[in-house]
Amino acid sequence: MALALSHVTKRFGSTIALNDISLTVERGEFICFLGPSGCGKTTLLRIIAGLELAEEGTVMLEGRDLSETPARHRNFGVVFQSYSLFPNMTALRNIGYGLECRRKPRAEIDARAAEMLKLVELSEHGNKLPSQLSGGQQQRIALARALATDPEVLLLDEPLSALDAKVRESLRLEIREVQKRLGITTIMVTHDQEEALTMADRIVVMDTGTIAQLGTARELYEQPTSRFVAEFIGRMNILPVENNLFAGQQLALPSDKQGATMIGIRPEDVRIHAGAAPSDPGLIPVKLRNTIYLGHLAHLVLDVGDSGKEIVAEIPGHACKAIVDAPHLAIEMRPETIKVLQ
Amino acid sequence: MSTLAVDQAASQSRRKNRKSRMAGIVPAIIVGIPLALFVLFPLTHILGRSFSTPDGYGLANYAAMLGNERFLRITWNSFAVTIVTTILAIVFAYTFAYAIQRSTMPFRNLFRLIAVLPLFAPSLVQAQGLVLLFGRNGIINRTFDLGIDLYGYWGIVIASVLYVFPYAFLILSAALAVADARIYESAEMLGASKWRAFRTVTLPATRYGLAAAIFVCFTLVITDFGNPMVIGGDYTVLASEVYNQVIGQANFEMGTVIGMVLLIPAAIAAIVEKRVSAKQYALISEHSKPLVPQQDRMRDRFLLAAALLISLAILLIVAVVVFASFVHLWPYRMNFSLRHYAFDVQNGIQPLWNSIYISVMAAGIGVVVVTAAAYVIEKFPSPATRALYFLSILPAAVPGMVLGLGYILAFNNPMNPVYAIYGTLFIIAIANVYYYHAHGFLISGTSMKQISGRFDEASATLGGSRLQTFTKVTLPLLFPTLVGIAVFFFMRSMVTLSAVIFLITPNTQVAAVSVLYLQDRGATNQAAAFSVCIIATIMVVLLAVRLLLNATGHKNVSLIR
Ligand SMILES: Nc1ncnc2c1ncn2[C@@H]1O[C@H](COP(=O)(O)OP(=O)(O)OP(=O)(O)O)[C@@H](O)[C@H]1O
Ligand SMILES: [Mg+2]
Repeated sequence: MALALSHVTKRFGSTIALNDISLTVERGEFICFLGPSGCGKTTLLRIIAGLELAEEGTVMLEGRDLSETPARHRNFGVVFQSYSLFPNMTALRNIGYGLECRRKPRAEIDARAAEMLKLVELSEHGNKLPSQLSGGQQQRIALARALATDPEVLLLDEPLSALDAKVRESLRLEIREVQKRLGITTIMVTHDQEEALTMADRIVVMDTGTIAQLGTARELYEQPTSRFVAEFIGRMNILPVENNLFAGQQLALPSDKQGATMIGIRPEDVRIHAGAAPSDPGLIPVKLRNTIYLGHLAHLVLDVGDSGKEIVAEIPGHACKAIVDAPHLAIEMRPETIKVLQ
Repeated sequence: MSTLAVDQAASQSRRKNRKSRMAGIVPAIIVGIPLALFVLFPLTHILGRSFSTPDGYGLANYAAMLGNERFLRITWNSFAVTIVTTILAIVFAYTFAYAIQRSTMPFRNLFRLIAVLPLFAPSLVQAQGLVLLFGRNGIINRTFDLGIDLYGYWGIVIASVLYVFPYAFLILSAALAVADARIYESAEMLGASKWRAFRTVTLPATRYGLAAAIFVCFTLVITDFGNPMVIGGDYTVLASEVYNQVIGQANFEMGTVIGMVLLIPAAIAAIVEKRVSAKQYALISEHSKPLVPQQDRMRDRFLLAAALLISLAILLIVAVVVFASFVHLWPYRMNFSLRHYAFDVQNGIQPLWNSIYISVMAAGIGVVVVTAAAYVIEKFPSPATRALYFLSILPAAVPGMVLGLGYILAFNNPMNPVYAIYGTLFIIAIANVYYYHAHGFLISGTSMKQISGRFDEASATLGGSRLQTFTKVTLPLLFPTLVGIAVFFFMRSMVTLSAVIFLITPNTQVAAVSVLYLQDRGATNQAAAFSVCIIATIMVVLLAVRLLLNATGHKNVSLIR
């Protein structure tokens, strides 16, 4: 256990930015804070960095309480969203800044800065000022600067959000690779689920100041515990259920899921039966309202009987034609694919 | 973790929070003490003295003043001059600024330079030039024998309009520089005529700048005494009356009462101006599209003509002063002569050296003092922040003469520790620093706010201490602004009369005051030579600083504020 937060609470006036957050991060782990705008991700990261004081709760590193340690003595590397390179210093001086503040000998600083510059593959840009670098290059320098002092934890606050899609994708890989190579415990804030899913070992999904769910990408996708998480990660049909009945049809719910009031099913888990007799048990008759053809995939928007409910199914693109032409349609929801939500 | 431990941690961090806010008080006090000593303390003396009568404290001085028909007339005079001057100056400055910012007329950069030229000269140079031209011994009256009598109301008004013109121009020019092209495009799409677009878009968009300019002009004119002294004749205004009471009759009580009367409108104007100018920034959103002036023959020709006329007036005044300094005896013997540069009267050239010495000191001290105030207010929030901010901008409301008078009353007393520097050049530099504190502080504060707080945080996470952050990051980023502030203090200290007039001694005479005395004695040519020396000094310094800034890669710093 590298980093442990317990019962962290933070208010800004009357808004509760963080409400009783507890969390442990393993050594060398890559954690993502994921959540919609304003849910408190940045605030939590800033509390860990020591840039903000929590009203309640503690932050511990390897069993040491950090409450009395100011940001500059924590030795945490931080990369901010944008524009945090010192505009009056070259890339190399920016990278060496942390060591300069620690009064390391000049030669050591220069060597380390050059090494870090090489790590982010910008060796030929060392003498440029931030204003002469592209956004992606600036963020790579910021990463190198954060890593130059051998920090115990690396904190990244939406480091890629100001960049365009192409650069973002390549930098994702680069950050992850550097992180793995150095084995550094890392926390990254993002509101981009794809970013979280592709980079993180574990993801903390946050909702208005609380942790909605914590788990690996797979766990969150396959076993969301709440509607919020289910809808935030991937797509999910949310269906109200009463006495195991949905739209007048009996659902085959497993025994531990009896009595649920809300269930979810992923579009790709909805099975389509074209031309089946409507009376087949376990099948729910539907009418096709709309087809969204995406090439390799197609989304079907289906009306469930006359209930006014709709459900979205995802099918391979090539299967589209047969379904559109079918006289009757029905769907099947397999019990093991049904998720019970709160 | 047990609840107890959590509670402990919570109260610990709360305590720490409070501790850091309390810790901010120490720097606030360190910065606040000199401000209180050199601004607030003298003002309390003015206030106290104005109530002091032979039979203890009372309203007798004010009663005597209000019952005095002469005083009421002088007050009326002051307002008559100030209001008319302000209206004229604003109309001219707006036209000029509009021509520079919103038209395609040629030589706009040259015109801009001409507009600020009077800032390089002592504040009475306008009256000086007018006297050389239209005075009793002016060239016009001597040559054409027209019998023009300029001394009095109109003399003061014309001189004052020229005096405050550059200040109004700078403010209005800044207000007109920002404009959202989209609004003008939509006005045009809706079929608004040019004049209508001006009335419904331009004027309202610049109303805050306009208000600020009006108040600045008002304050400058009502508290100016150099021009009325030289060209007022028998027409007395409040500011020159303070001078007469204090210097002429050593009547400090009356001087302070009039000072209080001056303080009130100046304070009201300053407060309104600060409120209003804070709103100017909100008008432009990030999505605005800058307005590029389109050519318009008629409009541009009209504006060019107006700009030419105004420039001509400004240049004429300065040119006449320069010219007069180089002739044998204006306007009788107009052959070239350098004899007025011999400075063989009184203290000779010493006052100019004094001025330069004072201005360099004021520049150095001023930069440190205003930057410290802005830094503490920005980075050490504490319960004292608001008070410190108030103290920092308070001098904007205090007329220079009132501050100077306060210094006499407060420090000309062997019991006061400051007495040690009383009567030295140093205290004159200090007076200049605090007289111009508000303006320098606002420049410094604005650019400190523009330096993102991100840099502080980035530095902190990298292990930088406050001091390291300040010296390695904040200071280098602030550098061009600091140079601008130093130049500002230097320029103003070179030309000011009002803040220093009561503080000079025969040994600490300054150049601007020499101009006044020489002019007063009728030595107009020598006065002109002194003015030229001041102008030349400022220009040389400006040029040197500009070259220095260009050499260090800071081309876009405005030096004239
Ligand atoms: N300095 C502050 N003063 C007052 N309220 C604040 C401050 N910082 C954050 N908040 C509030 O705290 C809540 C959480 O803010 P935070 O910046 O942590 O959100 P976030 O999850 O990072 O959002 P985003 O994705 O938009 O960056 C928000 O309601 C925000 O308005
Ligand atoms: Mg954020």
